[in-house]
Parts: sequence; structure tokens; C-alpha cells
Amino acid sequence: MSVKRILILTAEIVMLVLVFLIIVGPMMSLFIWSIAHRWYWPNTLPQEVGLEYWKQALGLHTSLAIGAISIVPAFLLSLLIAVVVVIISMLIAIPAGYALAKYRIPFGAFIMFLFLMPNAFPQQPIFVNLLHIFTRWGLAGTIQGVILVHILVGLVFGVWITSATFRSIPSYLEEAAHSVGAGSLYTFFHITLPLAAPGLLASSVFVFITSLDEFTGTFFIGLPFVNTLPMTLYSSSGYNMQFASVIAIILLIPSILFMTLIQKVLKAEYVGGMG
Amino acid sequence: MGQVAVQAKQVVRREVSLPPYLLLLLPALTFMLLMYGYPFFSSITRSFINSQGQFSFENYQKTVDLYLKDIGFTFVVTVFSTAVSAGLAILLAVYLRLRQSSISRVLGGLYRVPIFIPFVVVAQMMTTFLAPHGLLNLTLAKVGMVDIKNPLQLFNFYGLTFGFVWKMIPFSVLIIHGGFQMIDNSYIEAARSCGAGLMRVITRVLIPMNRPSILVALVLVYSQIVGTFTLPYMLIGGKIPTTITVDIAHRINYFRDFGVANTLGVFSYLLVLATAVYYLKSSVKKVTGSQASER
Repeated sequence: MSVKRILILTAEIVMLVLVFLIIVGPMMSLFIWSIAHRWYWPNTLPQEVGLEYWKQALGLHTSLAIGAISIVPAFLLSLLIAVVVVIISMLIAIPAGYALAKYRIPFGAFIMFLFLMPNAFPQQPIFVNLLHIFTRWGLAGTIQGVILVHILVGLVFGVWITSATFRSIPSYLEEAAHSVGAGSLYTFFHITLPLAAPGLLASSVFVFITSLDEFTGTFFIGLPFVNTLPMTLYSSSGYNMQFASVIAIILLIPSILFMTLIQKVLKAEYVGGMG
Repeated sequence: MGQVAVQAKQVVRREVSLPPYLLLLLPALTFMLLMYGYPFFSSITRSFINSQGQFSFENYQKTVDLYLKDIGFTFVVTVFSTAVSAGLAILLAVYLRLRQSSISRVLGGLYRVPIFIPFVVVAQMMTTFLAPHGLLNLTLAKVGMVDIKNPLQLFNFYGLTFGFVWKMIPFSVLIIHGGFQMIDNSYIEAARSCGAGLMRVITRVLIPMNRPSILVALVLVYSQIVGTFTLPYMLIGGKIPTTITVDIAHRINYFRDFGVANTLGVFSYLLVLATAVYYLKSSVKKVTGSQASER
């Protein structure tokens, strides 16, 4: 019996180490690259490490090396786009989510269908055709165009998470408010909205991160004029590994933070189609 | 009599004024129709329009001539990555369901780490990690498993699969483990008390009872991988064979050829057709079903 127990324990430890190495290995690789000043093959680790590339990226040092630009403007642009995207997406998603949760809607299946399709089909052909359409409308290569694409990517999650949130609020609370004379708007703003606040917040943060990380849509609509953080990462990954790794780590932090924050309420619908 | 008239008036008024949900849905619906429905529709119609602006199958001819191999590659890499992710995810989820130990609790937190890491970061990670001079090869050489002068070449099918699996396992485990937790312990105990061993409990009780969530995980992972552009673009790029998504980008960036790009897009729709139909059907049924049961 005890031999079996030791065997199981060993197997568990081996599995833990293996999973740990597989998950952490690639992240470790990013980290080492971001601090490698000199790393000559075939040394396992860099010969010289330091924070030079971090300083360059954060605009504290200027360097004439290829690809070494400050990422501060790109970071600010990404942040600006993400904030605008969250505001507009939520303004559109909250009413839609509420309607989907609380009303019996004719053609409801069709509407749901429309909001589910981006999860079911590849989105790249959509971006390609939006490029075509936006070129005609004068939106290709503009920040407005990129914002519209980010809203498209975020809105689907926004609507699903908000409607799930509203659905989870029992309707007898709203009926109780009605029965003591509260109007529909009063009930919404004083009963429903405060109860839904955590879900709506989670949904906003999710849309925010989706926008911050969005690559494919920005690649087609924004390039070469709109340089968000992921675009800067992409354009420097060809010739400056250290620099690209620094940006990758900066993009990594919010996603891991978000994961730890949302741990408790993590649901499959939040995750589908991410990236 | 008067009461009836008032009621009738109310009914009439209700019919004349717009239902409130229409107003609430209007912005989102307009946006989706314009920004999703319209481009989706035109991605299909434009695949039948040649460079002269006429209806033809020219784009399809060209796509089959040039990209048939890449379409096959995309399909094989997707099926393989999905199968590996699902297999490993089921194993991990079964372990997390059946074993309560301090190690399983650590693993239960650890596996989730990659879940929200965007593909662009995963791509950068994998290009540094899997490179011939990358950390993986250097470490394996240090341990003596690889000859450093002849490192593993991973910017191909295998590296791509590794990247997809790395990113998709957490997501699959989340869904599948959620399903396993809905299965009451009494089923497992009942099977055990009838003399079922561990394997039988897994294959005869846990997996069959959890079929829906395993299928959903498979379907979502499969359709996500088909549509992923960033990872293959940064890892493999223009090398042959590559994925459909990379070919679409090349068609647009180098040739401004929307016809062939859209045809490739249609092929990627065809690759996910079965999973998309299953996903849409089951999701709509789930939502309308839960609404019906609420009322």
C-alpha cells in the first residue's frame, strides 16, 4: 500500500514539474531575452544581462540601435483606443444585453445567431472585407477605423457577459420595486444596475483587455499608420528580439492580472475566441 | 362596458408604440449588421468576382492551383492540435476531478495561467523559445538530449502545434473540468462499489456523462485554431507549407488581391462549417431553452 502511495506521489510530482516547465519555460524565455545584452550561441544563458532594453523601451534612454524606439507613444495610443472602445462598447452592449435577458424577442434566435457567429467562424475574412469597405469610407489606416474594429471584437463578449449578468438577477426584485410604485427607469438605475455592477465591470475589463491585445483586425485596418502596442511588438520581433520581448512582457502583465482577479467567476463564455 | 373600452385602448396603444427592446437592441444590431453581417456576406460574394469585376470561378481555380497544399496543412495542423489539446485536457481534468491533494490544488491554479495571454504574446514567446538557438534547444542540449550543432527545427508543423496546444489546453480544461464537477460523487462511488477500477470509472462514467462539455471544448478549440493568424504568421510566415490565414494576409499585402483572399476565406469557412453549425445550434438551443424554463 505504501509503495503504491509513494508511486502516486512521485507521479504527481513529476507531472507538476513537467506542467510547470511547459507553462513557465516559454515565459522564462521572454524574460531572459528582455534582459539579455549579449547572448552568443551556444551559451545556455546570456553572458551579459541588464535593463538597457527596458530603459530604451520606456523612453528613459535613447539608442541608435535598429528598432529601438520608445514604446510610450504606442502604449498611450493603445490605452486611448482601449478606453474609447470600452465606453462605446458598453454603451451599446448594456441595453442589448438587458433586452436579450429580460424580453421575449421575436427573431430572438436570429439575433443570437448574429452575435454568436463571430465565435463560430474565422474573423480574418471579415477584417479583409472591412479593409475594402473602410478604404471606400476613408477609415482605413485611421484610429477611428481601428476603434470600430476593436468594438466589433469586444462587443460580442460585452453583449454575452452583460446579458448573462442581467439574466442572473431575479425578476421578482424588479417586480417588487414596480409594485411599490417605482417606474421602469427608476427600477433599472436603482435596483438592476447596482446588482449587475460586478458583472458589468468584469465585462468592461474584458473588453478593455481584448482591445489592448487585439492584433489581426489592427493589422489589416490600422497598418501602417496606427501603431498600437501589439503592432509595435510585431514590427520589432523581426530584428530586435530583446525589444519585442520587453513589449510582450508588458502585454503579458494585464492578462495575467485579469486572470487572477477573475479566477472566482471565470466562465467558459468569457474565454472563447480570445486573442 | 367602460372597462372593456379602456382595456381595448391599452391593447391598441401597446401595439402602436414601439416595443422597448427594439430601441435597446437597435444600436448593437445596427452595428453588427453593418460591421459583421455586411462584410461576412461580401466575403462570400466577392470570392466569385474576378479582377475584371465579373462573375466567375477564376478565384477558385487559382486558389486550388496555388493553395491546396496550405488548405490541407491548415486542416491537418488544426485537427492534430485539437486532438492533442483535448486528450491532454481530459487527462488533466480527470486528475483534477478525482484527486484532492496539495499538488492537485497547485496544478489547478497553475494550468490557468496562459488562459488570457493573447496570441501575439504567445507567438513572440514561441519564436524565442522554439528557435534553433532558443531556450528549449539550449536547455535540451545542456541535458544532452539534443546535439547543439543540429538543433530541433521547430518553426513548422510541430512548433505550431506546440504553440496552439500551449494556448488551448487551459481553455479546454476549464470547460471540461467544469463539466466534471457537475457529476455527483455518488455516481463515481456507485461504480467503484460495483468493482469498477479507475480506468472504467473514467471511460464508462466520467467521460460519457461529460460528453457535452468535451464536445463544446473540441468545437471551440477547433474553430479558433482555423482562424488564428498571429501565431502561424510570426512562427512560420511565408514558408511552405503555411496556414490559410497567412496566405490571406500575403494575398492582401503583396497583391491587393481581394478575390483570392476571399476565396481562401470561404475555404476557411468550409473547414469550420460542421463545428460552426453544431456550436450555433447548441448555443441557441441552450439559451432559448433556459429562457423557456424560466417562464
